Amino acid sequence: MRRGRRNNQGDEADVDMTPMLDIVFIMLIFFIVTATFLDETAIDLTQPPPPPEDSPPPKDPPPAITVFVDGRNQCAVDGRRTTCDRVTLAVERLLADKPGASVILRMDERSKHELLVDIKDGLDGRGLGSKIEIIKASDA
Amino acid sequence: MARRSRVQVPEEDTELNMTPMLDVVFILLIFFIVTSVFVKTPGIDPEQPVASTDAEWKPTILIAINDSNEIWIDKRPYSIEEIRPVITTIRDESPKAEAIIKAAGGAEVGTVMAVQELMQDLKITTRVGTE
Repeated sequence: MRRGRRNNQGDEADVDMTPMLDIVFIMLIFFIVTATFLDETAIDLTQPPPPPEDSPPPKDPPPAITVFVDGRNQCAVDGRRTTCDRVTLAVERLLADKPGASVILRMDERSKHELLVDIKDGLDGRGLGSKIEIIKASDA
Repeated sequence: MARRSRVQVPEEDTELNMTPMLDVVFILLIFFIVTSVFVKTPGIDPEQPVASTDAEWKPTILIAINDSNEIWIDKRPYSIEEIRPVITTIRDESPKAEAIIKAAGGAEVGTVMAVQELMQDLKITTRVGTE
């Protein structure tokens, strides 16, 4: 009996794992508590940088379709009032007349962010690129 | 006597085999270490507009804007004039960071785009959050 015990100790020297276990558990709890699982979706609203000021204005600028949203969240396409959810349709109709026209989104700075995302999303979904311009309330 | 000691011994030092549990604990630990991203959450979760052309985005800087145009960073509200130094500090901590602006649908376009412009000015890739 005694002999067997001694053998046991020689074969697998029992290291006390408890302190290491404590540390591992503390680390585990720390990482569980601090873990944030980000699940974000986003769209790109960044604008290309404006051309340098000394560059000459382009000759024959392509025709443009202007979508205007005023400070009271009313939308207009090329000067004609439309409801905001029909902006994309109106732009498409105008594009038939002016092929290759670029779309400019002019937003009053007080208008709702929601509208910008809606309109931009609608245009992007149809493969129409657009440029965003913010109009300061003092300019309007 | 003999009977008594026999009953007591197994109760006193029952040795549990901890190895499988240890394995699981280590795997969990490694999982959490690997997946952890240290982000400063804005502290609010605004109702963002819905978009169909959105894409997944893994930001490390989060900025939220609520309906009353307060800009929330790291659980504190700021106004548009105050955020430049705050964002500069965050950017210096993590230079390759990408950002998201989580703006409420009712926030003003002017505020959202001003924040985005500022981020672009600081050379931070920025997207606008959607649901």
